[in-house]
Amino acid sequence: MILEVLKVTKTFALGAERVVALEDLDLFLDEGDFATVIGSNGAGKTTLLNVIAGHYRPDRGRVRLAGQDVTRWPVHRRAYFIGRVFQDPLQGTAAHMTVAENLALARKKGARALVPLLTARRRRFIMEAVASLEMGLERRLSEKVAHLSGGERQALTVLMAILTRPKLLLLDEHTAALDPANAEKVLVITERLVAEQQLTTLMVTHRMDQALAVGNRLIMMHKGRIVLDLGEQEKRRFRVEDLVGLFRKVGVSDDALLLTANGEGGIGTMAEEAKKQAHLL
Amino acid sequence: MLVLHAAEQGLIYGLMALGVYLSFRVLAFPDLSVDGTLPLGAAVAGILILRGVHPLWAGLAGAGAGALAGTLTGVLATRLRIPGLLAGVLTMIMLYSLNLRIMGRPNLSLLGKPSALVYLAQGLGTPRAYENLVAVGIFALVAAGLLLLFLHTEVGATLRAVGQNPELVRTLGTNPHNFLILGLALSNGLVGLAGALVAQYSGFADVGMGVGTIIAGLASVIVGEILLRPQSLLAAVAAALVGSVVYRLAISVALRYGAVLGFTASDLRLLTALVVLGALAAPALRAAWKGETP
Repeated sequence: MILEVLKVTKTFALGAERVVALEDLDLFLDEGDFATVIGSNGAGKTTLLNVIAGHYRPDRGRVRLAGQDVTRWPVHRRAYFIGRVFQDPLQGTAAHMTVAENLALARKKGARALVPLLTARRRRFIMEAVASLEMGLERRLSEKVAHLSGGERQALTVLMAILTRPKLLLLDEHTAALDPANAEKVLVITERLVAEQQLTTLMVTHRMDQALAVGNRLIMMHKGRIVLDLGEQEKRRFRVEDLVGLFRKVGVSDDALLLTANGEGGIGTMAEEAKKQAHLL
Repeated sequence: MLVLHAAEQGLIYGLMALGVYLSFRVLAFPDLSVDGTLPLGAAVAGILILRGVHPLWAGLAGAGAGALAGTLTGVLATRLRIPGLLAGVLTMIMLYSLNLRIMGRPNLSLLGKPSALVYLAQGLGTPRAYENLVAVGIFALVAAGLLLLFLHTEVGATLRAVGQNPELVRTLGTNPHNFLILGLALSNGLVGLAGALVAQYSGFADVGMGVGTIIAGLASVIVGEILLRPQSLLAAVAAALVGSVVYRLAISVALRYGAVLGFTASDLRLLTALVVLGALAAPALRAAWKGETP
């Protein structure tokens, strides 16, 4: 078992009120699992990732990584096990450092030495790694990351996050800020790298089609709980409409979520379909 | 003469400008403690020289004292979560009292005492008139070279990443706070060394000599950036030194000929602050000129 989230509860103070972000939540990921996570806004998806990565400490419950209880570990210590990619492409790289420097920084976790960051040997390693993205970045190693496009930058971030073969990869809507073409490109790269290295992955997404198409498990969250956990077989049979129906059933009235069900375009049809679905229920 | 003295001063204070470049630009941390660490370096070096310690060691001790003070600012800002500006001000205020305690009085005269600059220059057989220039040049270039090398190491590169994206550094399994503390120690170490050399160069250490250091340092860094428009680390480090020399030159000219326009020496800080203000406000003013709203 790579990841064990055990009976985790997390609440936040919102003025005088307390908002429950995660309630008594259990989640287990086996080695090699690639789980997608969907849920409406406020369902607790990002909170879950933050609890796993160590940004939030749960009020109750434990988090175990690769068999070790990490509940009280700070972010940077858990980072030995975890690679994480955020939604914002700016968040995963140092903008004013070069492509090569960014990758060289990411090639190991923890302690840094007083040795040159870029040696000929490391350059070769970086060159090979970045060539695997097939974006031509191997010819732009000395360019500052700030000069890359959002898609290139996010692909680089994915590569940086997996360069040390982490036990667990956390993807937080990492294609949501990109235009459709680049989002697709980054998703394909992600799938390929995850498959090559057989990484255990937890991917939050807004897009139901993506959640169904990618990975071998699908988790649906609602109000801080997991309300659906599909295995590989069931996932293959599920359609976007089925998910929309389920959302209706648990009482999600978040139109924004339903509108994104179809990914880009087709917003009108999707809303209609949602209505139809609601009617059937 | 005017140019020579400006160059000498520019290079000595260039060490301080390198420190300010490291904190303000590399770490993106507005560290005000330098107003205290410059006289700290001077006080420590001064008192050691008066006790008969070799001036080179006294200079290094000044740098070490500066590094300790920088560590304090870093610890205040990270472990104790005090806002960065306030952490620097607190260290600066503490140092004011501490510097008085170290010296035992408001100022020390080092006239006629051995100087690391003279020692270094005579060792190289430099003509008398250029002794100081050669010596301070060596100090400044060696410090700049070491800083540049350091910024290309794993540790140094991580330090740069802390200034640009601390969260990235965290995901790399390292605590950005530790690197911030290290960076502030190095930055203030450079400023402490500058103070120690200023004391030896000018022949005295004074508890008030640090006032305005941060503004002078920022002015140097900004002037250098305007002149060289650095795109690489090498250029950025060079710009800090060049900026410092140009800044001191401008000050000397203003002091010499400013009287014609009605300026006196006491207007210096106002003018310096206006230069920094103008440079910092330039992007906003340019945007406003083009009709962009912030």
